[in-house]
Amino acid sequence: MATNTMTAGEVRRARSPVRSKLMDAASRWAFMAPAAIILAAMLAYPIIYTVEISFARFDLMTFSAVEFVGWENYAHVFDDYRFWSSMRVTLIYLAFALPIQIVLGFGIAYLINAPWRGRGAVRALFIIPMVVAPVVAGGIWRMILDPLWGIMNWVAGLFGVDGLDWFGDPTLAMASIIIIDTWRWTPFVILIATAALLALPRDIFEAAEIDGANWWSMLWSITLPLLVPIIAATFVVRWLGAVKMFDIALAATYGGPGGATNVINLFIYEEAFRSLRFAESAAMAVIVLVLTMVLTGIFLIGTRKLEDRY
Amino acid sequence: MKQLFGAVSSLSRRALMVSASAAVIATMTGMVAQAEGLGTPDKPVEVRMIANEAFANQWQTLMVPEFNKHYPNVKVTIDGVPYVELLAKSMLDATGPSPTYDIIIADDPWVPQLASVGALLDLRSEEVKGWTSEDFDWDDFNVAPLAASEWDGVQYGVPVRSNMLMMFVNKSLYEKAGVPVPTPKLTWNEFLEQAPKLVQDTNGDGKVDAWAIDTYFVREPLTPTIWQTIMNSNGGSLLDENGKPAFNNEIGVAALETHKKLLEFAPTGAISHGFSESLQAFRQGMVATHINWGSVFKGSAIDAATTTLTPEQVGIQVLPMGSKSAGAHRGIWSGAVSAKSENPEAAWAVLQWLSSKEGEKWHSANLGVFPARKSTLAAEPSEPWLVPVFDALQQAYDAAGEGKMWRIRHPRSDAAQQVLADEHSRFIAGQVSAEEALNVAAEKIEKILK
Repeated sequence: MATNTMTAGEVRRARSPVRSKLMDAASRWAFMAPAAIILAAMLAYPIIYTVEISFARFDLMTFSAVEFVGWENYAHVFDDYRFWSSMRVTLIYLAFALPIQIVLGFGIAYLINAPWRGRGAVRALFIIPMVVAPVVAGGIWRMILDPLWGIMNWVAGLFGVDGLDWFGDPTLAMASIIIIDTWRWTPFVILIATAALLALPRDIFEAAEIDGANWWSMLWSITLPLLVPIIAATFVVRWLGAVKMFDIALAATYGGPGGATNVINLFIYEEAFRSLRFAESAAMAVIVLVLTMVLTGIFLIGTRKLEDRY
Repeated sequence: MKQLFGAVSSLSRRALMVSASAAVIATMTGMVAQAEGLGTPDKPVEVRMIANEAFANQWQTLMVPEFNKHYPNVKVTIDGVPYVELLAKSMLDATGPSPTYDIIIADDPWVPQLASVGALLDLRSEEVKGWTSEDFDWDDFNVAPLAASEWDGVQYGVPVRSNMLMMFVNKSLYEKAGVPVPTPKLTWNEFLEQAPKLVQDTNGDGKVDAWAIDTYFVREPLTPTIWQTIMNSNGGSLLDENGKPAFNNEIGVAALETHKKLLEFAPTGAISHGFSESLQAFRQGMVATHINWGSVFKGSAIDAATTTLTPEQVGIQVLPMGSKSAGAHRGIWSGAVSAKSENPEAAWAVLQWLSSKEGEKWHSANLGVFPARKSTLAAEPSEPWLVPVFDALQQAYDAAGEGKMWRIRHPRSDAAQQVLADEHSRFIAGQVSAEEALNVAAEKIEKILK
């Protein structure tokens, strides 16, 4: 009898809510720990180290942060007109490249959505620009747009447009970067948009057809509202990719002429690896990281609201 | 007497034997030391080199086997790294607790940066003197290339691939335009007067298809070297004797405007031209003159696979004269030994052979690399095409040495060069005036060099 009472007590203790919760938490953490440790090592450590360098004097002799200098590196960055100029250039690039890619991507996907022979093959071809290394893409487009030897000016010449200096004129140089980036990433948007269009419920369209809705009404009143959450999510994904861009500019225009295409990440790269100004570069990287996180947060909130609305 | 003689004789014999034994031991000790430093067939020494990928592979496949004919027990491995990453990687490695690389191949302005962090070995220290061949003639080097690897009075390296900014001439285009082929006496004013005639329609289709010049105009660190050379040849300098910027003056502004003026006579789109694009324009016979590194001569005039021009068509000379001298600009790759190398003797043996009279001769004859030694330049070159090249090179060394025609030498020289590139590009793109560009550059560089 006594043995039975002890056993029942043990069972009760074992089943007490606090103990049960602790056990549950421990088992969850046990499963999460390996991934968390790897994440901390691979992701958090470099970020923390970058933040540390940004507040320190970087000693090239030991290749490490040696002395806390407070906000000094940030003050240098804010005092450098090149930083602000690069931020402005990045903003211009993002303001044009992202909407163009989203509109083109969803537009092309909508137009090729009808079933036709060879659609699969064309979709597979869309992947090519994405797998070409950005530096190679920049180099190839540099040849295509070259005023002396490039095919683009030859084609433009057929239409009476002569002497376009794609990399020499600041506006055209930015246009070149946007063209190259759009060539590279629009297929990505097309693939997502195609998948989204195929997943749209057919019955709504059939009902609209029966009600006599025309092509435009269906696009404006059904397709677009249904696609809004996908468009917003694609925008966030592309935003995160585009904000990092520097390799295309490095290969195609070297950031020129006169800094017209010197996007912020190219500037950070040059300051770190050409000028060996690691502390100032780290400060810039932290500023860009914070800005990106804030803007991404805003975009995600916006995406959620759009999802709720539609 | 006999006993005395015998005693002396016995003593002498013993002394002789002791001396002989001592000498043998000393020699053997020396041999062992040498064998350890330069390896033995059973125990070869391994040295690793970090170099520009542009020539690392060529060195590994051609130069190393040649070196091994003289030093068979030194195994050399060369890792090629893209130019833009080379300095950062060299610094990162050399400052680590146990560096991978025994030999660092550094571009012209990098030695102060590497030396200031204690990464390099003093090649004229007592220790290294013991490993240096007696016939290694330091005084035979031209001053300009040797000075590239000197910093704070210490010699940290030797020139292993010498290069100078030179002017290449397409004689055919000059003849077509009816303009006299330039000589080293050509001045910038004369060139600018002749330039409009050199922009021409050579095939009579009504379209311009040949221009006067192409060179660096793009936004990159080597572009300001053209402006600097024009400024130097007019008596200007980058820094004053106190190490402060001295280029934001009339001479600097005039030189910058001259560089921009060249664009008027350059091919369409030349504002985005750098090393490769200007080189292609010259090799395809589209420009009458071309300012680039001398080492491209072989590929521009001799190798039919890479050029449309013939050796007779191509001339090479120093850049046009300013008010003070002809122009040139130094671009020397120096070889240095890592201060933390575990095999410094073997590492120095590689560099010593490569920069020796014999090594230079082999290097220029087989790989077309320019020598730095006076004796090599004065001797009969192995190939006839090298004759005018060596003459021009010697003139360029003299001009560069006299006018201090090289980039800023300072532990933060690359940061300063990047600022020059940025401001130079802003002026070329028409975003600021020459005065403003140089004033901003001077202000920024002064802060950097503090």
